[in-house]
Amino acid sequence: MVGLSLGEKHFIQGGIAQDLRSDGRKRLTYRPIYVETGVIPQANGSARVRLGATDVIASVKAELGKPHPLQPDKGKVAIYVDCSPTAAPIFEGRGGEELSMELSVALQRCLLGGKSGAGYFHTEKSAGISLSSLVVVEGKICWDLYIDGLVVSSDGNLLDALGAAIKAALSNTGIPRVNVAAGASGDEEPEVDVSDEEFLQFDTSGVPVIITLTKVGRHYIVDATTEEESQMSSAVSISVNRQGHICGLTKRGGAGVDPSIILDMISVAKHVSEQLLNQLDSEIAAAEARENES
Amino acid sequence: MEYVSPEGLRLDGRRPMEMRQIRGEIGAVAKADGSAVFEMGNTKVIAAVYGPREVQNRSQQMNDQALVRCEYSMANFSTGDRMRKPKGDRRSTEISLVIRQTMEACIMTHLMPRSQIDIFVQVLQADGGTRSACINAATLALADAGIPMRDLVTSCSSGYLNSTALLDLNYVEDSAGGPDVTVGFLPKLDKVTLLQMDAKLPLDIFENVMQLAIEGCKAVANYIRELLLENTKQLEYRRGV
Amino acid sequence: MLHSKSFVKKTRGGKVTKVVREHYLRDDIYCGASICKVCDPSVARLSASASTILILDTNVVLNQIDLLENPAIDDVVLLSIVLEEVKNKNLSVYNRVRSICSNSLRKFFVFSNEHHKDTYVKEMDGESKNDRNDRAIRVATQWYQTHLGGATRVLLLTNDRENKRKANEEGISAETVETYVKSLGRPDLLDLLVQNASGDVGMEDVEDLRPSKRKILYTEHKPMSEITSGLHRGIYHQGKLRVNRYNPFEAYVGSESIGDEIIIYGRTNMNRAFDGDIVAVELLPQDQWHEEKSLSIADEEDEEEEGVHLVPGSADDAPRTTGQLQGSSGETAPVSFRPSGRVVGIIKRNWHSYCGSLEPMPKPAGSGGIAHALFVSKDRRIPKIRIQTRQLENLLDKRIVVAVDSWDRLSRYPSGHYIRTIGEIGDRDTETEVVLIENDINSRPFSSQVLACLPPLPWSVSPEDLTNPIRQDLRHLRVFSVDPPGCKDIDDALHCTSLPNGNFEVGVHIADVTNFVQPGTPLDEEATQRGTSVYLVERRIDMLPKPLTEDICSLRADVERLAFSVIWEMTPEAEIISTRYTKSVIKSCAAMSYIEAQAKMDDSRLMDPLTTDLRNMNTLAKIMRLRRIERGAITLASAEVKFQIDTETHDPLDIGMYQIREANQMVEEFMLAANVSVSEKILKHFPLCSLLRRHPIPTREMLQPLLLTAAAVGLNLDVSSSKALADSLDRAVGDDPYFNKLIRILATRCMTQAVYFCSGDLSPPEYHHYGLATPIYTHFTSPIRRYADVIVHRLLAASLGIYKLPVIFQDRPQLTSIADNLNYRHRNAQMASRASVELHTLIYFRKRPTDTEARIVKIRSNGFIVFLPKFGIEGPVYLTQRGENGGGEWFVDEQQQKIKKMDGSLSYSVLQAVRIHLEVVEPQPNRPKLHLSLL
Repeated sequence: MVGLSLGEKHFIQGGIAQDLRSDGRKRLTYRPIYVETGVIPQANGSARVRLGATDVIASVKAELGKPHPLQPDKGKVAIYVDCSPTAAPIFEGRGGEELSMELSVALQRCLLGGKSGAGYFHTEKSAGISLSSLVVVEGKICWDLYIDGLVVSSDGNLLDALGAAIKAALSNTGIPRVNVAAGASGDEEPEVDVSDEEFLQFDTSGVPVIITLTKVGRHYIVDATTEEESQMSSAVSISVNRQGHICGLTKRGGAGVDPSIILDMISVAKHVSEQLLNQLDSEIAAAEARENES
Repeated sequence: MEYVSPEGLRLDGRRPMEMRQIRGEIGAVAKADGSAVFEMGNTKVIAAVYGPREVQNRSQQMNDQALVRCEYSMANFSTGDRMRKPKGDRRSTEISLVIRQTMEACIMTHLMPRSQIDIFVQVLQADGGTRSACINAATLALADAGIPMRDLVTSCSSGYLNSTALLDLNYVEDSAGGPDVTVGFLPKLDKVTLLQMDAKLPLDIFENVMQLAIEGCKAVANYIRELLLENTKQLEYRRGV
Repeated sequence: MLHSKSFVKKTRGGKVTKVVREHYLRDDIYCGASICKVCDPSVARLSASASTILILDTNVVLNQIDLLENPAIDDVVLLSIVLEEVKNKNLSVYNRVRSICSNSLRKFFVFSNEHHKDTYVKEMDGESKNDRNDRAIRVATQWYQTHLGGATRVLLLTNDRENKRKANEEGISAETVETYVKSLGRPDLLDLLVQNASGDVGMEDVEDLRPSKRKILYTEHKPMSEITSGLHRGIYHQGKLRVNRYNPFEAYVGSESIGDEIIIYGRTNMNRAFDGDIVAVELLPQDQWHEEKSLSIADEEDEEEEGVHLVPGSADDAPRTTGQLQGSSGETAPVSFRPSGRVVGIIKRNWHSYCGSLEPMPKPAGSGGIAHALFVSKDRRIPKIRIQTRQLENLLDKRIVVAVDSWDRLSRYPSGHYIRTIGEIGDRDTETEVVLIENDINSRPFSSQVLACLPPLPWSVSPEDLTNPIRQDLRHLRVFSVDPPGCKDIDDALHCTSLPNGNFEVGVHIADVTNFVQPGTPLDEEATQRGTSVYLVERRIDMLPKPLTEDICSLRADVERLAFSVIWEMTPEAEIISTRYTKSVIKSCAAMSYIEAQAKMDDSRLMDPLTTDLRNMNTLAKIMRLRRIERGAITLASAEVKFQIDTETHDPLDIGMYQIREANQMVEEFMLAANVSVSEKILKHFPLCSLLRRHPIPTREMLQPLLLTAAAVGLNLDVSSSKALADSLDRAVGDDPYFNKLIRILATRCMTQAVYFCSGDLSPPEYHHYGLATPIYTHFTSPIRRYADVIVHRLLAASLGIYKLPVIFQDRPQLTSIADNLNYRHRNAQMASRASVELHTLIYFRKRPTDTEARIVKIRSNGFIVFLPKFGIEGPVYLTQRGENGGGEWFVDEQQQKIKKMDGSLSYSVLQAVRIHLEVVEPQPNRPKLHLSLL
């Protein structure tokens, strides 16, 4: 949808080549990030992240459900993304579905490690929220976390913004403490009593951030705007946690990339992630402080 | 169920003729030609306007007036119960149509022939009165986009519970099953452009209830006018006029 | 208008959702004290002279509502948080406290502390909801203290020890209710206090009356969560417990889950449930289903004895018989194999206050001390209640009202507290009031708001009424009324004119009550609640105020009155050719009694037009009646009695059966016809919201006692249809002239009563009226004394397009609840009338022991039940001493319904005539009762 003249295209590409992008950033500089938490009061946790003109909201809702029979000791997490037509007219009707699906799958892969569930949340050493902490009664009751992302305004790099918003929303999430009535056993459905006063907080220090490196010409940049994305040949999204572990990776876009460049990209992403994590954490802390104040 | 206590207070502490807190904000979506957030209590919607621009589907182009389109959608997290509804369900389609008709009636479409105006409204939180909030947000967004309008159309709902007319029903009051009258109103022209009611209501009571909703619309209009005035002053200031 | 927002979060079970509500705090909520200089004085309720303003804690409202209803407690502030808690815990207490608040004579002020900007408190971390609410109460009390600046004492009444302690720490004056009431120096108020309140002050150290008997008598009630899951899994069944009126040790729970009634035998199985409680029941193992019966009476020390009572008017009044009945299929399992069970938990209590007296006990030596006493309710379904009182000697010979507070597992009887005294036992006024209270009849004078709805007196038909196009002027017609002697509320009148074509124009004119009772007015609401006028032997409790009942609406002779008329054209064969309905103005030319009308018809010398009209009508009525009987309508006999009352002392002077004349039947016939015509008309226009009356077909099971008795005397009754039954009743004539009537009386008591219903709630086949053998029926002809008729008048007017249908008719659930209330009120009115007759029967025989003829209607193991036709009462006659239980001397022949002496010297069989001596005895002081003995 971005209608660019030949001159504009050259200007964008040239800027990237010279490490001075059209908005004055360097290739590996993020736009200012702004976080607001608790924006959706009826959700268990929510956050809004603005990255330049990109504006996304993530919410976490917890519902009591039944664990998967193959994994009776684990809760479930699902991520859905919706692109609102307010962000761009092409999302109107079913227009946003394809992108929404692509973003949902990429987020699942980057944050949960794919559909099999044997990913990030699963491995104890990544120190994130283990799915086992979501179990209430083994094999019978667990928490199902529904993470919903909504793109309100779009100016590129939706995936990184959504990833950051989900991380912020998770740290904002309080899950009611559940008391299970004693005595119920066997095949009976246990009676549960959901506490009104006590909430469990997640430790989100291990939740990764997503760094998308967009390849334009021979260089790659972080946090591309819509105009810059229109010039990309391919993009690689890498999720990295505090420890510097790669938690997920996805490549989009048509052109092939040389494997050595991918390895190079990973090491760059690892480097950038540190700054992003620090910045995000301090933004989240500031947002939480603002929320508690009001 | 007691929706109005004998002391004359509603469940949330309002009196029957009081509106919830309203708040508007212009310019929430940077990329849109005009946008606004509008809140009525816990109901919060975003509206974005794209246009006037080239008509996307040539067969829909009209030579004497602009094409106005509207899409209403609800975020999955907007309701207390997380909903997974496919896009374009009946209710959304109906509300889209209602908003489009209401807005079309106040846009001076004849000034913009062969062009298209898109209004997108997104519900972030639903706590009763989403229709009204959407119309108010759309009005602000259209004004922000600089689209010529006959008047600022505003909307408010009212209902009738416990033999009392209530202004601006919230979700709990709305789900009580009583009548819910939504009015769209052109304050300067003093004309009703939208009127919807479900459930039955005797005529003499209906008159009061509708009048109450109109009063609500007028209050919203005053607020919106102030907001736009403030916004214009800001723009002037920024341009250094 | 202050808009401050805060969020209250809730999570609901099942599907866990986080609920967010807005909560606005305001600065325009006033304190309600007249002395306050700051607040708006127009809303002030608390008196300016109040020395103390009371603020109540939730536990005080919940437990001490009887105390609060006493006018001695006044200048009270009720916080909205307290009301909310009360509402959640006990709706009936909530309604009572709300009605105190709205009573303009009481100084109760509701302070919306939850929405006041200074008294709203936010939940603190780790604070339970209860603690938060307690804190809110203290904060509000504190606010009052500072707000009123010491001008008056603000006192917090709480029975929560913790709350009181914290309040005192925070510098708030707080006391327990007991301390406060004691400080008032009114010992009578102390009796109103609930002693063992669930609040934790005071009662732990009060000893039980019989420490030796402190053992666990009842099993523990299951916790709510267990009940819910039990109901869910189908091991428990939920239903309303109904105790057998004639055997308080037997109860039934109608359960939807097993689609049958579960029988509960004995107090142990009832496990502290009261009549009307919603309970959870567990079925007993099937092998225990029949054995329980014999235990039912034996496990209680106080075996109850059947008393003399009025003859039942329908199955609803008759003692329930279970056990001996044969199943409808005959040879299969006896009915005693119906499921029986025991109560495991009580879901909702139906405790209210009860009328009765204290069990006789020696008067205490001193006075003023606390005494324990047992209260015996007039309603036999209620167990005895233990109370404490400081005024025992005053109460022993009184009828009193008592409320139930609790019933723990260690105590045979529930505990309660005294509320008020009605009067002396046996006193006619006292006992009449007991009858009214027991039947929930509102006999208070009409309020000023209700009376304000009446048109100014003297009232007469105005020129506007005459020119009103909806109203037809029928003053030229020769309209007359026929009623019982002395009737003042005449709601129906008739006319009958010969037409030139040989047909008759017959009109039924009904008082136009709805012209004066407009929907939605206080008058209308009051009438809706009362539902019907209640006729007691010596007084009448009106549904509408007297000016309407006896003057404005009453179709008296020689005055112009507004009416709603049904006018038919009938052939001489009483075939209806056309029917029309109209509002009208009439002028009755004669208000006759049945006797007068009958005399006129019978006097062959009289040939005046009025008498001719009467005779014509009577001829038509006879044809209509015959046709109705041919259709299968059942002529049931009831044994209505009539008292002659001394005008000064109001004591009964004479007693006798009510005589039915042709004139009665004539009027009745036209009323039936009018009701049927109207029901057809309204149902046609409003198929979903008409108020109709139906009479369900009695099941074979219900008719079983009749069949059993009939079979014993060699009579074969066909009960396959109402027509068949009517015919076989007609054939049932023996040598005995009274035989047929007796059989009819027995048949009547097998039938249930007709009920009102909303047509939308049932399907047309269910509309059937069995007794009258008509497919639809309603009540139109007595709007002065029945509210159902008022509703039907409105429906009819709307169907004619004269008036709009009031909004209420669009609300089906509301209409259904009105119909339910009408049924409830009618039933209560009947019960009250019966009780009143029983009371007067007792008063009558107190000075007049009598010998009389009686009929045996039922055989018992130790005697039989006799019916006294002359007085319309029945009661037991014992052949053996109580407790001996047959003693082997007598044996019962079930088949033949006979009781025989072992040696064969004597035998009594059902329907046999015996001579009975009737007298009033007083086995215990102040407890007079009728006693029957064989001569």
